[in-house]
Amino acid sequence: MLLQTLNGLVYGGLLYILAVGLVLIFGLRRVVNFAHGSLFMVGAYVGYAIATHFGNFWLGLVVSVVVLAVLGVFLDAVVFRPLQREDPIVTVLVTFGILLVLEDAVRTIWGKDFLSLKPPAALAGTVQILGESFPTYRLFVIALAAAVAIGLSLWLRMSRIGLFVRASSVDRTTTAILGVNTDRVSVLVVAAAGVSGRVSAPVLALSPCMGRLILIDSFIVVVVGGLGSFSGAFFAALIIGQLHNFGVVYLPWAATMIPFLLMVGILIWRPSGFAGQHV
Amino acid sequence: MSRQAESSALAAAPPGAAPARWTWSVLAAALAAGALLPQVVTSTLAITLLTQAVIGGILATAVGLLIRQAGLVSFGHAAFFGLAGYFIALPARHGLWPAEVSIVLAVAAPTLLAFLLGLVIVRIPGVAFSMLTLAIGQAFHEFALRAREITGGEDGFAISLPRALYGVPTEIFQRPQSMFVIAWVALVVILFGLHLLTRTRFGRVTAAIRENEERARFLGYQTVVPRALVFALSALIGAVAGTLFALYNAFVSPEMLHWSLSGSALIMAIVGGTKLLWGPALGGVVFFFFKDLAGDLTEHWPAMIGLTLIVVTVALPLGIGGALVRLLQRLRPAGGRTHG
Repeated sequence: MLLQTLNGLVYGGLLYILAVGLVLIFGLRRVVNFAHGSLFMVGAYVGYAIATHFGNFWLGLVVSVVVLAVLGVFLDAVVFRPLQREDPIVTVLVTFGILLVLEDAVRTIWGKDFLSLKPPAALAGTVQILGESFPTYRLFVIALAAAVAIGLSLWLRMSRIGLFVRASSVDRTTTAILGVNTDRVSVLVVAAAGVSGRVSAPVLALSPCMGRLILIDSFIVVVVGGLGSFSGAFFAALIIGQLHNFGVVYLPWAATMIPFLLMVGILIWRPSGFAGQHV
Repeated sequence: MSRQAESSALAAAPPGAAPARWTWSVLAAALAAGALLPQVVTSTLAITLLTQAVIGGILATAVGLLIRQAGLVSFGHAAFFGLAGYFIALPARHGLWPAEVSIVLAVAAPTLLAFLLGLVIVRIPGVAFSMLTLAIGQAFHEFALRAREITGGEDGFAISLPRALYGVPTEIFQRPQSMFVIAWVALVVILFGLHLLTRTRFGRVTAAIRENEERARFLGYQTVVPRALVFALSALIGAVAGTLFALYNAFVSPEMLHWSLSGSALIMAIVGGTKLLWGPALGGVVFFFFKDLAGDLTEHWPAMIGLTLIVVTVALPLGIGGALVRLLQRLRPAGGRTHG
């Protein structure tokens, strides 16, 4: 039972990192990036390629961060900024197109079979927790997600950019009038999506559809948490992570229906999610 | 201001006005063209392609209706398409009730489901609605994939249909030549029905809600139920497409619920042009012929439709249909002037 809870935390942590990226982009630009899950997938595959080629797990992690950061700059310059004046749905459609292209590219390069990556030697063992053994690597993922959560909330509260981001989530026009430049955030968001993809590689199996599957769960997290809310996304990610894991273990045939039904239930109860005042 | 005064101010033409005479001529001409086409096009390959294109066009019309009439973009319409297929296939497999009943249910059940879901999700505006529809589509797809005992899992299964449906030999539904005519008539009737609908009070109220939900609500209009009804109507059209598809192929699999089908339907609608009633259907036809032309390249089909979607969204926001209409409008005044 404890182990299952921890496994749920692993998935919830990955979901949280992705959902935060979606919330940040939404707060800044009022758009939703449908290619966000694909960036997660690209991060995982790039890391996989480097790690298997050079035999170094950490090198793969570093390279995928760099590649994804570059991709983040590119996407922001070519997609998000030029389309800012358009209806948000235009960005949705364009990023959906990017999703299709990236998924096809990955399928062409690496094939559609499942790939798996071993965790690095230092984290390959298991730890005894209350008399049961749990993979060390999964603890590392939980710790990383926790570090991201804490780092992010500190960053949002303490730093200048964090202040801008919060300001922009509340009132984008005024923030823009005041001349806030938040471009660096997109880089960070995309790189974070890549890192979580990369980190997830030894836990989830790599496949071209992994990005889409986690995208849908992170959408549920974002909507249930209240679009644009960081704390809402945090709690929703914890809950959906647990439910996902519970479903996979005990009710495999209904695993995807459970988060979905929860989402419908919450939306009936609170149409704007846990933490949304009005959407 | 009273509600009546507002509603008449809202409607430029009196609601329920009889459609102009030419619309009936267009309807007759469209039906005749469909009936004659299989006589003209003798190649079975071409007519098979056309049949697929028309069924795809019906699904695209469903997605397009939701955009045009409610401003909502669905990424999950395969759910209604595929559910219709399973509503025909599963009762036949377990011998629950006659296929005629299943066909009625196949259209009615997804519509009802969409209405109930719609009451919850149409309140979620814009982009978030799209996110939810993607989740809905995926939930049903995964369910069909995982619940092997019920749905047969990934492989799908053949639907055992009786020899005749409603007294019509089932063969009629499975020959491309006759199925083309059935699907075409369905498409024309749907488009015509939607054309009439936009002229009713309901059509105008939903258009007003699409333009400004808050203002429509302040004017005293109920805004959730009309949008849920548009969502249900759109699901109904999607379910009709799914029913035709299932009867034509006599086969169901989770492919019918797959997200890429939802995506394709959306792309057909966008490529064809969602401002026009017939745009999505045109997009469907273009889509299938483009896919056929792509031939060997279909291995990279997802990337190709992805690129097409990006290019069309950015460069041709009104779609092919919109571009055609604009071209005609530019030609017409010039022609008028030369003739005096």
